[in-house]
Parts: sequence; C-alpha cells; structure tokens
Amino acid sequence: MADDRQANGEGNGLRRHFGRWLARRIPPARSVTLDQRRIFIFPSLPGLFFAVLLLLILLTAINYQNNMAYAVAFLLATLFVISTLHTYANLAGLTLHALSASPVFPGQRSQFRVRVQRAGKATHYALRLSWPQGSDSVVSLVDRDSCEVTLYVPVGARGWFNPGRLLLESRYPLGLLRCWTWLDLDLQALVYPRPLITSAPPGVASERPEGTAVETAGSDDFHGFRSYRQGDALRQVHWKGVARGHPPQSKVYGSYASHSAWLDWEAFADASGEHRLSYLCYWVLALERRAEDYGLRLPGVEIAPDSGEAHQSRVLAALAVFQLAGGWGK
Amino acid sequence: MSQTLAAGTLIPRNALVWIIISQFALLAPHLTRLPLWLVLVYLATAVWRILVFQGRASFPGRALRALLAVAGFVAIYLSYGNLLGLEPTVALLLIAFSFKLLELVKPKDAYVLLFLGYFICVIGFLFSQDLLLVLYALFTLVLVTTGLVALHRPREDRFRLGSVRLPALMLAQAFPLMLVLFFLFPRIGPLWTVPVKSHAAKTGVSDFMKPGDISTLSQSGEVAFRVQFEGDIPPRSGLYWRGLVFSVLDEGAWRSLRYNELPAGELRQPAVTREGNPLSYSVLMLPTQQNWLYSLRYAEPEQRGILRTSDFRLYSPVEIEEQMQYKVRSWPATPLELELSAWRRQTELTLPAQHNPATRELAQRLRRAAQDDAGFVDAVLRYFREEPFVYTLQPPLLDTQDPMDQFLLQTRRGFCEHYAYAFVVMMRAAGVPARVVAGYQGGEVNPVNRTVIVHQFDAHAWAEVWLQGQGWVRIDPTAAVSPDRIELGLEEAVAGEGSFLANSPLSPLRYRGVNWVNMLRLRYDALTYQWQSWVVGFDGEEQYRLLQNLFGSIRTPVFAGVVLASGALVLLPVAWLLLRRRRPPALPPEQALYLDFCEQMHKRGVTRRPGEAPGSFGRRIALEAPALQEWAHQVTAVFDQLEYSQGSGEPAAHRQQLAHLRQLLRRGPQAQ
Repeated sequence: MADDRQANGEGNGLRRHFGRWLARRIPPARSVTLDQRRIFIFPSLPGLFFAVLLLLILLTAINYQNNMAYAVAFLLATLFVISTLHTYANLAGLTLHALSASPVFPGQRSQFRVRVQRAGKATHYALRLSWPQGSDSVVSLVDRDSCEVTLYVPVGARGWFNPGRLLLESRYPLGLLRCWTWLDLDLQALVYPRPLITSAPPGVASERPEGTAVETAGSDDFHGFRSYRQGDALRQVHWKGVARGHPPQSKVYGSYASHSAWLDWEAFADASGEHRLSYLCYWVLALERRAEDYGLRLPGVEIAPDSGEAHQSRVLAALAVFQLAGGWGK
Repeated sequence: MSQTLAAGTLIPRNALVWIIISQFALLAPHLTRLPLWLVLVYLATAVWRILVFQGRASFPGRALRALLAVAGFVAIYLSYGNLLGLEPTVALLLIAFSFKLLELVKPKDAYVLLFLGYFICVIGFLFSQDLLLVLYALFTLVLVTTGLVALHRPREDRFRLGSVRLPALMLAQAFPLMLVLFFLFPRIGPLWTVPVKSHAAKTGVSDFMKPGDISTLSQSGEVAFRVQFEGDIPPRSGLYWRGLVFSVLDEGAWRSLRYNELPAGELRQPAVTREGNPLSYSVLMLPTQQNWLYSLRYAEPEQRGILRTSDFRLYSPVEIEEQMQYKVRSWPATPLELELSAWRRQTELTLPAQHNPATRELAQRLRRAAQDDAGFVDAVLRYFREEPFVYTLQPPLLDTQDPMDQFLLQTRRGFCEHYAYAFVVMMRAAGVPARVVAGYQGGEVNPVNRTVIVHQFDAHAWAEVWLQGQGWVRIDPTAAVSPDRIELGLEEAVAGEGSFLANSPLSPLRYRGVNWVNMLRLRYDALTYQWQSWVVGFDGEEQYRLLQNLFGSIRTPVFAGVVLASGALVLLPVAWLLLRRRRPPALPPEQALYLDFCEQMHKRGVTRRPGEAPGSFGRRIALEAPALQEWAHQVTAVFDQLEYSQGSGEPAAHRQQLAHLRQLLRRGPQAQ
C-alpha cells in the first residue's frame, strides 16, 4: 500500500528518510492534537523578502544616521520574532479527528472527512488542509469550536487507498512565517474494482426482464417492519419507536423482484483474477440498476441474494478487498 | 462543507480597505513636499481600484500600466528637475506605491505594497524626527500591519475596525525588545554617501544681509535652537548668539569674508587670553542646511569636528542637515583681538566709494565733536536715541543707491539690521574699525526644564567696533532705539504695532498670554528637547556613556548576556500568553461510545479498519461475524443518528438516543 504514497514514489533516499523520521515523530493516529513535537515553522517567501526590507531599512538608518529609522528596523525585526509565536499559536492546541473516507471506483476522487477542533476560545484563522495531489480547503475557527472539512483525493488501484499524510499549514497572522504539520490520520479509502463490460454470465439475464422490477423504497405500498440496517434511507426509519427507546426499525415497502441471480467467481474462468473482479463489478452495478436480487460467490466468501444500496456496498466491498495481502484486517 | 477553494488567492475586502487607508495615512506627512498632481494621482488610483472592486471598471492593461509608469517618471523629473535627490526619490516611491494599487490582484501584490509602505514610513524620518511625527508614524505602522493581518483572514468581506486590535497588540509586544536593540545596537558611520535633501530650504540667518532680511525672518515662530546651561542662565541682555560676522559691504548688502579672501596669515583665530568664569552649555540646533553654529562670545567647542574662524565664530565643515547637538564653553569677559593686523584694520574700514554721502558727512561731524573713538560711539548711540527713530517690524523699502542716507535722514523707521548697518557705516566713515554681527538675541527660558528656546523671531543684527585697549566691543544700536527689544524681547518691543507673528495667527506663541496654552506649549517644548537630545540625538558616544554607566565595562559576554536576557524577558511572557497549556478537547459522548463499541468488536475478533466508515464496518461485521450483526446494526444506527443530528435535533431526543446507545453497549450482543 505504501506504493500509493506520492511521497515515497520517487524513491528519493532523503525523502524516504524524512518519511521514516516523520513516522516516528508524528505516529499515525485517528485523533492528533498539535503541540511543539508536531509543528514545524520556517520563514515563508514573503518573510524572506521582509528580511531584505529590514536590511534595507537598517542600511538607510546607518547611512543617514537616523535614529528613528533604526527604531523602525528594530521594531519590525522584533515584530517578526513575535509573529513566530503568533503563527505557532495559530496551529498549537488544534485537534484533528479523522472522520471517514468514502469508497469509490478507480479514477474517481474519494471524499475524506476530517474534523478540526480548537481547545480553548482562541481564534484560529486561515488553516489550509490538503493531501498531496488532492484538493485543498481553507477554514477558520473564529466563532465555532470545530468544523468539518471535506477533501477530495484521486485514488489508486483496487483495495485500500492511503492518501499519505495530511498537510495542515497556516501563515496567519503576518504571512512572514509558514507553520505546518504533516499528519497521518490513519484514514484509508476503499477502492472498488474497475467495472469492465462483459457478456452476461450464466444464470443472469442479459436483458432486463419486462415488468418484473418495481421500485422498492419510496413506494407507498407499506409492507411491514424489519430491523434497521445500515444504508436504509432515513425517512424509512421508524422514528417513533426509536424515541420510545426501542431498537431502530425500518419500514419496509412493497417489493416484487421476480428474479435472483448468483454472481460467481467461477463464471469467468478464462479471465485473469483482476478481470474477473472487474466483470463481477460490472454486473453488480448492472443488476442493481435493474433492481434485481443478486448474490456473490467468491472463494471463501458468499453473500446471499438481495438488492438495495446497502447490499450493493457490501458486495462491492467484498470485491474490493478480495485476495488482498492483509484482506480486511491488515 | 464546500469551502472556497480560491480563498488563499484572493484579497479580502477588509484587507483592501485597510491597505487604501494606510496608503493615505502614509501620504499625509509628505504632503508639503509633493506637487499637487501627485496627490490627485493618488486619489484617482484609489477611486479606480474601488471601482474595480465594485465591478464598474477593470484593471489597467499591461500597456496602460507601462504608459502610466513612464508618465510618472517624466512628471516627477519635470516637477523636480532631477531624479537623484531625496525629494524626487520619495515622490517616485510614492507614485510607485500609488500605481501598485492598480495591480493589486493577488496576495503577492499586497505584500509588495505593504512592504513598500513600511519603507515609505521610514523615509519620512529622513525629513523630520519630530516627536509628534514619530507618534504619527507609529500609527501608520499599525495601519500597515493591520493590512498585513487582514490579508490573512480569508472571507472577511466587510470592513472591520476590530482588525486593528491584533496588530496593535503585536507591535506593543514588540516594543520592549525594540528599545533594548535601539540602545544596544552598535552605531557605525555611514557606509556610503546617499542622496541628500536637495530641495530643503536653508533656514535661519543667511550669510548675506540687506535691509529687510532679518525683519522677514522675524515673522517666523519656528525654533532655531535650544540651549541647556550648566548652572545659571545668564541675563537676557547677555545672550547674544553670534553666528555670522559681516565684514564686507558689497552692492548694498553685507556679507562675511570668504575663505579665499583671507590672506595666509589671517586664516587662524588670533590668540586670546581667557578671562573670567566660563559658561558651559550645550546647543541643540535644528537643521539649517548652513554651516555656521551659534555661540556666546568668546566660545570654544568642547568636542572635535567644529572649527573656530578668525572672527571668533564656530563653524561646521559640513552643512547641518540633521539636528546637531554641540557642547561649548564661553568666556564672555575675554577681550578679542587686542592687536589688530594691518590687513584686518583695512578690511574692517572699507566702504564702497561714493555711496551714502550724507551718512558719511554726519559721521565725520560727530567724530570731530567727540574726544575719542569711545566718545564717538556714544555720540552716535545718543543720536539714535534722541532723534525720532522708530523700531518696527514693518520698515519701509529703501532705495539701493544711498539707502542709509534715506534711512537716517528721511524714513527713520527700521529693524535691527537697519540700525546695525547705519552704525557700522558711520563708524567706518569716521575711521573706526567696525563690522556687523548677525545671529540671535535673547531667547525664552522654559521654566519646565530650564532650557533657553531661541526662535527665529529672536534673529538679530548688532555691531562690533574695535577700540584701542579693549579689542572688539559689542555695541547694539537697536538697544539705543528700543531697550525693550533687548530686555523683554521682540513681542513686547513691537507690542504697540501688533505685528508680532502677524502672518501666523495660529502659532501658540501668539497666545503666550493664555496661561494654559502657554504651559502646554512649554511642556511640549521641554518634551521635545528631551526627545531630540536623548532619542534623536542618541549616537555612538552617548551609547558608550550609557553602557558604561549601566554595566561598568563593556565586554562581549556582558553585552551578549544583556541582549539574550532581555530578549527572553520580553518573549517569554508573550509565549506564555499564547501557548499556555489548554485542556485537549474531549470527544463528543457518542464518539467515545462508538470507540468503546469498536474496542468490544476488536475483542470479539472484528477489528475496524483505519478510516472505515461506521456503515462499512457494520456491513463487514455482518459478513464476518453474522452472530453480532443485529447488535452492530443497532449500535451503528443510533450512532449515525446522533452524528447526523449534531446540535440540530431536540435535546430531549438526543439525550434519549445517547442513553439508548449506552444501554446497548452495556448489554452487549448476548442479550439479543
């Protein structure tokens, strides 16, 4: 999985060394509170120009023997030093929580959610979060204690995608210094196989049978209750029961799926492993679109036929992690 | 959750407003030195930029910007006649500053603009380091820094006055360390020559005097210099501050001898024997762009770098472009030049031929009637006293051919230079060596700090005559006409005329009668003296003295120790304020409970993947441990509810759900 990391892809010895050092200094964690071990600070480019400006003012003071010019040179130099503390304080005490990473298909961008939370009531401005190669986002904590940040990162191949370390940086308040940290929030996105079109496997109708599929959720045709399952629509939940302290239940509506199919690893015997997964993936999507029930049989994995968003996610997840080194658990 | 992706690359409106405010604040102190058109350009660019912001105009294109830049250069060249002096340099900086506003698109441009602003603030000090101006400059520094801070607060789309708080606080935090550096940083000489103020007016008494010059100078209430005496301040009538000696009458105007007119033997100051008790004092002179220094006779400088001339004056080899402080000792009782050389006698007797015949005749008549030269001097003074001469700040203009004839016999109204002029002409006409001396007379004693404040309106001209056995004797013919001028000062002397500072109705000096105005003025003047002599005038010598007083000896370890210790002393409180330990934030209860659930699942053999969403984890549990499926579903469902309703749901329902989740976790899966 380390191959997915942009930072290590170059094979640069120095960078690898830095990565190892960083891993020791800021170990992966789901929640990280920033302190002096984790925050780096260095003059920014405008800060270097500011230093040149200070030199210019000092030269003016010396050449004109002008005491007030000396005073301004020293005042601004001290301001630079003081701003180190202010810039550092803008990151210090923040806690970042990993929330979630959405599963996606290869070539898409996964949605990574992170919560930024402050400790006291101190304001934090212009916090820029970004993953290498991903989108960036600038947030401020002024009159709220925390906020959720969503970042999009293009993913790699099937399996678990590690986006690398999250960069959190800030130049507030003067922009003369850049204060930053690289955090491994232990967030990974699940990447499904790439769907590849293929002809229908045995036992699956290549065309959508007429008049068999009926809309399930959202239909007015109430059928009964069943236990809540992850993925059920919120308006499907029987809230009155939850409020009374009962376990959550979902209302089930009429469903008249007429057909159920098994998607089998052995059905594409002449294709290679990854291709088989891609074909299966295509048919999962196709059958789900037709609202037909389908089950999955992989060596060591069997998922009974069903349909719905939650079922589809479960099936795709099984395909995504199939025969990976480490599998589910790592 | 959609964040503005471009937030880091835009200039918030708040920052733009602060930048424009600071630009105008920086322009203000330079207004008097700038052509009017530059101010108009400033206004125009600001209006243009605001229109761009409102979407009613667009940024100028590259060609137009180039055109504007070239036009700016040419206009400044035409206004000042060159581009090398300090004033055109400032004008160039200011116009660049103004045009940069039209390029202000990205934060990068804002940095350039604001850094230029810091520099323009410094440039202002090259013209004046007056206390009020320095306070104003500090204010502009706060404004520029506010622009910088506002630039880093994304999405502030309204002007906020409160933005000024943090920069003011930061500058206040920076102030103590600045003071330490100011007093400890070694002062070294200029590294190379720099453009000087080419357009600054020469002020004070000039080396060229014709009737009317000093009365014009006396219209000004500006301070010429301040004097601090060690010991008692001599009486007012003894305060004749000599600056110039006019020995040559040339085309109706008096001037001093030029250096190249002096024969080799006359270059050095004649030897004197000091007599009486010396007066010790230091003079803090404001810039004059001239070379001569003011002192009481007979003066010897207490420091190097000041020359003594053959006519007993002090002279600076370089023009005084910055304020200058010098220490002097004077022996007023010392006779000057008891022996007069033939060349000197000849020079101090020369009068242009044919001019002022009536004056000459009058002088020769009075000399014949007197017993000796001293008696003749008394006779001339008596003549001024007894004839109806008037001392006035508004003397009539005199013709150029025979001005003294006209003055003595017709107009009889004149200021000090008229009386000194007439007196010296009469002396020379009668064969008594005499010359005009110009400088200041008197001064105002500030009761707050016992300094003598000498204003421009104290400018004065008097005479010196050479008498056998006494050397050069000071004679003030004005005292014969208006004793008040010497005893009380110009204001009282011309009180009946109402002409004192007639052109400056707002000068606080005109309101010396109003007690509180006067006290305020004197207190401020005392403050100014302290400021100018201790802060603005702080130099290598002062520094050496200060450090030696503080630390006994100046050794590198002591010096480094002081710098480091004071740095730490200043920075540590700031660091403590900013970084004191804060309690790490507690997790919301539902998240803590969910983590507890993950822990339980881990013990039962299903470990949550890093980053695995609760939903996917739940589905995986169903896959890997179907026995736990139902329990996991319930926990996940309630947790999801709590997560999504965060803060928005009813508090009662929220509490209920939390309780339910807690119950589920306590019971565990067995209960199902």
